[in-house]
Amino acid sequence: MNRYFLYLVILNMLINVIIFIPKILIEYRYKGAVMGVLIAIPIGIGMNYLYSHALNKFPGQGLPEILAHSKYRWLVNLHLGSIQIMWFSAGLITLLGFTDILSRFVNPEMPKLFLITIYLAAIFLIIQLPTKRVMYFLEIVLYLNTPLIGFIIYKTLTSEFLSWDSILEVGTHLFEKPSLKAMAAATYSFSGFTNLIIFNRVIKERLKIWNFIIILFLGIFNLFTTFFIPIGFHGSDGAQEYLYPWISTSDSLRLVYSPIERVLYIFLMFYMSISLMSISIHWHVALELLKGTFKEKENKKKNWMILAAFTCCAFAGVLFLNTVLLNKITAYWMILLLGVEVITVTIFFLWARRRTA
Amino acid sequence: MKTLVKWRLIVISLSAVLLLNGCGFKDIDKRLFVVSIGVDKAKNSSKKYLVSLKFAIPGGKNKANDFFIVTEKADSMAEAVRAIKTKVDKEIDFSHAKVVVFSEEMVKLTDNAGVYYWLARRRDIQEIAWVAIGTPTAMDVLKVKPKSEQLPSNALFLSLGKDGSETPYIISEFYFDMKKRLIERGLDPFLPIIEAKKELLEVNSVGLFNKSKLILSLTQEETKILNHIMNRENKSALWVKTGNIKFIVSTTKIKTKYKIITLKGKQPCIKVSVKVKGNIEEMTAKITNEQLSRFEKAAEKRLKKQIKEVLVKIQKANVDPIGFGLRYRSRHFNNNDWEEWQRIYPHLAFKVDAKVEISDTGLIE
Repeated sequence: MNRYFLYLVILNMLINVIIFIPKILIEYRYKGAVMGVLIAIPIGIGMNYLYSHALNKFPGQGLPEILAHSKYRWLVNLHLGSIQIMWFSAGLITLLGFTDILSRFVNPEMPKLFLITIYLAAIFLIIQLPTKRVMYFLEIVLYLNTPLIGFIIYKTLTSEFLSWDSILEVGTHLFEKPSLKAMAAATYSFSGFTNLIIFNRVIKERLKIWNFIIILFLGIFNLFTTFFIPIGFHGSDGAQEYLYPWISTSDSLRLVYSPIERVLYIFLMFYMSISLMSISIHWHVALELLKGTFKEKENKKKNWMILAAFTCCAFAGVLFLNTVLLNKITAYWMILLLGVEVITVTIFFLWARRRTA
Repeated sequence: MKTLVKWRLIVISLSAVLLLNGCGFKDIDKRLFVVSIGVDKAKNSSKKYLVSLKFAIPGGKNKANDFFIVTEKADSMAEAVRAIKTKVDKEIDFSHAKVVVFSEEMVKLTDNAGVYYWLARRRDIQEIAWVAIGTPTAMDVLKVKPKSEQLPSNALFLSLGKDGSETPYIISEFYFDMKKRLIERGLDPFLPIIEAKKELLEVNSVGLFNKSKLILSLTQEETKILNHIMNRENKSALWVKTGNIKFIVSTTKIKTKYKIITLKGKQPCIKVSVKVKGNIEEMTAKITNEQLSRFEKAAEKRLKKQIKEVLVKIQKANVDPIGFGLRYRSRHFNNNDWEEWQRIYPHLAFKVDAKVEISDTGLIE
């Protein structure tokens, strides 16, 4: 069992609350989301297995190092570039989504630009660190937060207001034609493996089959909680009315003897650090891949230029996207991500097999 | 050295963030906290609602439960709140609004969806606020100042929540659950009814809705039975009379299960089974521990009858607070299960099965 690999996958599972996945799944609950989720599980696990299996042949190396000596430079750049754009936008959507949540629930009078500035400052601090240290950072954040998030999930599952009949009612729409959007959204929970492109640098050993079995069970549990718990709390017909189903669900819990009765604020507090880490991990990957596409050695000026470009994108996103639009874009973006993932995984798997055969 | 320069740069750019003024923040002494919201039907006015907000006045130890109520007539909640803002000097803060009281007249109006949904749309109103019906008016409920109350509206919070008194006559309801019931097909809303007495608040009945409108109010005993069916509260009591002996079972556990049985060619029915555990708390004649099984039978018979009566009453009013319809929907894979259920429900038969276990007769025989 390799814990670093698990962290990367678990991080994506945790963050899918912020990145509109419950919303997309619940929107299609009567129109094929259940089947979509069930199909997404083997696809997600399969991609996890194939990709990490292929990368395992190059222990301790990230994708840029592996492809550094390739003759077809443009192909490498295209390959790295497409992943890099997808992963940068993944971080961007999380960032915009979470800024929106913060400005809605925590400080509505503060301009979003300020909020995002603070976030960007912290993110840039992290993403420039060496890969190993980013990984350690992630480990600390997960250790601090996951037990408490687990506690919140435990409270929801044992709540008397969780209506299992509502959940089963959605379950009876199992045999609908699977919806592509819902399926793509559900595979996002498993796509943390893509971080291995860079984070393979810290993984020195072979990944055993146990990792994938754990991911399978975690993924099933995670998709169940993301999709069904809001339905249990807000009804099979009513859950889709909420803009952020999971955040409203956390607000529907009452911890009588905790310092703060409203779980919403505790929940947001945990998610502040988790989304910070998620964005940082995604952007660290994007940054390293971008560095990998340059031929010459690292150059400070270029580094700053990249960060400036990141900042511009984030600001533009805040200024021009509202929540509803972001939500719509994310639904299509998920499909695109699934496509890119399938293509990159297949290409890399075949390439690695020929290379080492 | 190089890393030091880098860190210095980062620290400088980070501290620049501190220069940005945090303009949104208002101090706590410039805020007024709403503890409960009341909505009445406006009288002698062209407007629809009379909205009252109960504000807590922060004070010292000696007069901790001071409050004042500001009211406004308006056609919508948003308008009313905006108008109330012009009547008070500080910023209105809803983050402590934990009870919303609607008056009985107001919940009998038909198109209240705007008010109900306003509570969910606002980010600062908690989903775990309690909702209730107030009689004679919501305003009267807000005005009551019970002697034992230490903070404004705290008596309401304690009696509706389970951390204060625990009784089977209160079926409290959180806002998010009510909102779920407003739209879920096969599960109808209900609200506890709070009666304002002179210095007391009495909560011992429940009003049942057909989605948007109050249809039926249950009596105290019926409320208790509904509570048993919904498994909300274990600590309860059963009044039983057999022959000329009257005895009371104090319960420690009540568990109700139900199953919908629809067989072709037969009348569809619901099998309800109740399991009760408890001991005898009071009796009018001597009962020894050997005779208990006879009294168990009597208690079962009585419970069966009571439950059936309540279920039939609810069914006659064509409301479904227990969620039979949702249960039916969740067990059928076809897409028109809801339409089917609407046809089935009025002709449904109830078969109630009760099992009462009386462990002893208390500390003495």
